[in-house]
Amino acid sequence: MASKIVTFTLNGHETEVLVKPLTTLAKALREKLGSTATKCGCYEGNCGSCTVIVNGEPVLSCILPVEEVEGQSVLTLEGITPPEGLHPLQQAFHENFAVQCGFCTPGMLMISKALLDKNPHPTRAEITEALSGNLCRCTGYDPIIAAVQQVAAGNNGNQGGTHE
Amino acid sequence: MSEQSLNVVGQSVLRRDGLSHVTGKTLYIDDIQFPDMLYLKMVRSPLHHARIQGIDFSEAEKVPGFVRAFTYKDVPKNIYTILCLIGVGPDEEPVLAEKEVLFKGEQIAAIVAQSEEAAIEAAARVKLDLEELPAVFDVEEALKPGAPILKPWGTNYFVYEGHHCRRVRFGNIEEGFAKADFIVEGCYEPKPIEHAPLETTGCVAKPEANGRITVYTNTQALYFSMDNTALILQVPFNKLHFVGGTVGGAFGGKVDVIVEPIASLAAMHTGHPVKYLYTREEEFHVSSTRVAYRIYFKDGVTKDGRIVARQVTSYADSGAYNRHTPYAATKHAANISGPYAIPNVHIDVHCVYTNRVPTSAMRGFGVTSASFATELQMDKIARTVGMDPYEIRLLNAYRNGDMRPYQKVVSDATLVEVIKSAAEMVNHPLGKRFQAMTSWDRPNSPAQPEPVSAEKRS
Amino acid sequence: MHFGILSYYPGGVNVTTQAYYRPRSLAEALGLLDEHGPAMLVIAGGTLAIPLINKGISRPEKVMGLRQAGLDYVRPMDGGVQIGAAAPLSRVRALSGIPLLTEAVKNVAGWAVQNMATAGGNLFAPPPAGDLAVVLLALDAQVKIASHTRGERLVPLADFFTGFLTNCLAPDELVVEIQVPKPAGKVVLLKYGRLYTNTPAIVTVAVRLIAKDGYVKDVRVALNAVGPHPFRARQAEIALQGAPLQTEVFAAASSAASSECEPFTDPIASADYRRRMTGVFVQRALAQATA
Repeated sequence: MASKIVTFTLNGHETEVLVKPLTTLAKALREKLGSTATKCGCYEGNCGSCTVIVNGEPVLSCILPVEEVEGQSVLTLEGITPPEGLHPLQQAFHENFAVQCGFCTPGMLMISKALLDKNPHPTRAEITEALSGNLCRCTGYDPIIAAVQQVAAGNNGNQGGTHE
Repeated sequence: MSEQSLNVVGQSVLRRDGLSHVTGKTLYIDDIQFPDMLYLKMVRSPLHHARIQGIDFSEAEKVPGFVRAFTYKDVPKNIYTILCLIGVGPDEEPVLAEKEVLFKGEQIAAIVAQSEEAAIEAAARVKLDLEELPAVFDVEEALKPGAPILKPWGTNYFVYEGHHCRRVRFGNIEEGFAKADFIVEGCYEPKPIEHAPLETTGCVAKPEANGRITVYTNTQALYFSMDNTALILQVPFNKLHFVGGTVGGAFGGKVDVIVEPIASLAAMHTGHPVKYLYTREEEFHVSSTRVAYRIYFKDGVTKDGRIVARQVTSYADSGAYNRHTPYAATKHAANISGPYAIPNVHIDVHCVYTNRVPTSAMRGFGVTSASFATELQMDKIARTVGMDPYEIRLLNAYRNGDMRPYQKVVSDATLVEVIKSAAEMVNHPLGKRFQAMTSWDRPNSPAQPEPVSAEKRS
Repeated sequence: MHFGILSYYPGGVNVTTQAYYRPRSLAEALGLLDEHGPAMLVIAGGTLAIPLINKGISRPEKVMGLRQAGLDYVRPMDGGVQIGAAAPLSRVRALSGIPLLTEAVKNVAGWAVQNMATAGGNLFAPPPAGDLAVVLLALDAQVKIASHTRGERLVPLADFFTGFLTNCLAPDELVVEIQVPKPAGKVVLLKYGRLYTNTPAIVTVAVRLIAKDGYVKDVRVALNAVGPHPFRARQAEIALQGAPLQTEVFAAASSAASSECEPFTDPIASADYRRRMTGVFVQRALAQATA
């Protein structure tokens, strides 16, 4: 089977990529599409750094064949960053020191966004459960949870820009 | 300095790279791509200890995309040790193994190819002719007669200024034991710990048109890495341009100089940018860990809880090479008597080589392992004597004016106050005598400074 | 002659796979399986298989993915629920209508993995993984298996597992559906791991117990992470069947479970610890099921 073209919507734009069979979404994003905000820490679906959102659901791009997003809508960190300023989650992470080395940050932001899109006012237990698949070696997690709680507390029904 | 002139102290200062991190714009090593970049993968020893009789690259060379293989013969100064820059010697670690490998996973040959796939495929096809040698994995076994000798100077230990271990001597240990009512012994063995940063160790070395090499690296120690690379490549220091400061987690795991020299050599000889990035497996299996120790305590304690003699024999497992362990063991020796005033101290810390993964720096290296041991030992002493664990620490804590076993006088001590504060925070009652203790209550303490009044502070 | 180690393929680099098939129906999937044979790797969510391919440990030339094959449903059946083999665990969690299955899915890794991993795929997870399967055993689930030429058959899940990573499937068969009856009585699931969440199990215990007049009328005790595959602790069940609801009875049953399990040592826990914790957690599960 030769390489094939996979067409999907990336951050609101129709995108084509030429890949060998079973190429992962992470590799397609990072190496073919210049979209390096999505990080890979393990290549086995254990660390969560590669989390992206497909059709509103968080998935691990390092173990997802890109063929599986044919015709789907993919959202990465580049897609929630506004042209100017910051998404409320990005602002909250920065202010709460939820970022140290920054490597887990894209994955943490994406899973947090997926959570708040479905549940604008999560309890702390719901936040920790939603983020439990994302590892951080630097912060000890509390500042990250605080950042998500801060955004949730500010939610009055609108999310402050989903930028899709 | 009046408080009005402080602009940053007392403020919450956001990270200068925070905006880049939260927008995903930060470039980590694996995000760095150049159009003509090559990939370096390492051929690693499958055996713990072996003599290298030969290497056959013929199958590797046939892999489409193969560019070049490097062995120790290509490295201008192959034997180094990281801390040579601060006078630690001798050089004993090879960039690429010469006649012998000393740990499973050690670097033997570097393969450079046009794609990651080709580099891995070619590295997998390199044939190694290895003669297996007996290996030793235990620090005390390594020091016994008959153990396989790992170092060219004929021993399995680092030599500290002519001595076989780092030594601290204070007072008279035998007199101390004679005064004791109890002898309390203990053995504590903190294990190696892998840092497991989310970003693995790596670099990209890029030859520039003007003859310099730019090295993008996630090392914690830019100057260590640059200076050691210059010495290894035998080039003037200004031929190298190291770009770093973006580290995806490290915790001490990115202070060894391990990827930059060989990547730079490969860039020089191929004329292309070369990326050498550890996989997660390499990060776990071959990158350095925290130093493991086996620490034997023998303390002499009086029945009222004073430690009057402390004898410690500690073995630091350096693994196959020095890295930062000789330095760690020195710090360990200084700290292993604990933050306590003990009049008779006898400490030997051995830095021992075994056929294990080289150990190196991690978060307070040398000291945290010492604290682990001293505090477990303190609890054991408390149980033996029948004293409260806070009170026995208050009794023995050093004070201002005390002479430490390594010949420094204590000043600015706050240990007593911190212990009392901790007890208060957890509602742990202390006896009156202990409540009254301060860091200034010794006859030889300097005068306690006047406390700053509330008016002056505001 | 030796070769260098740790020469794994880095992530997402897959040079051996020549074809990735995505059939749009079960018939098409079975046809492809017939055509390409057992050398073709079958995946659904890929959460177990793609990591191994990423590392170069698994090097299939042909792979078939079942996400589009119409097997992702969760629908009611008379007295229970039918779960398509390729139904994502998150869909099972939301729609099965069986609370114990919701609990089971919560035990599996994190949210993103639950979105990708499937009910059928979980049957192929190596212990200590297999959090869904252990619950399905306690609930007397059945597995529908299909082949291109021989039609469908229904197998009790307890007969599906034959050994470590081996099962009763013929080379030309696929798991297509899991049928789960709604449980009567009390059900309890306890997973003991090193962390509270996103953690491999030291031992997982699922109990379903129907009590009547102070006696055990019917009981299932299923275990995982303490044997080559999820299994029912038959000796424990025998000790409980018809016995009075007393602590001594539960202790004897726990002891039986502890003896009959075949735990292994891995980086998570030693075999000895697993064996002892089996007894502890079976006892706790029984206490909770009769509280």
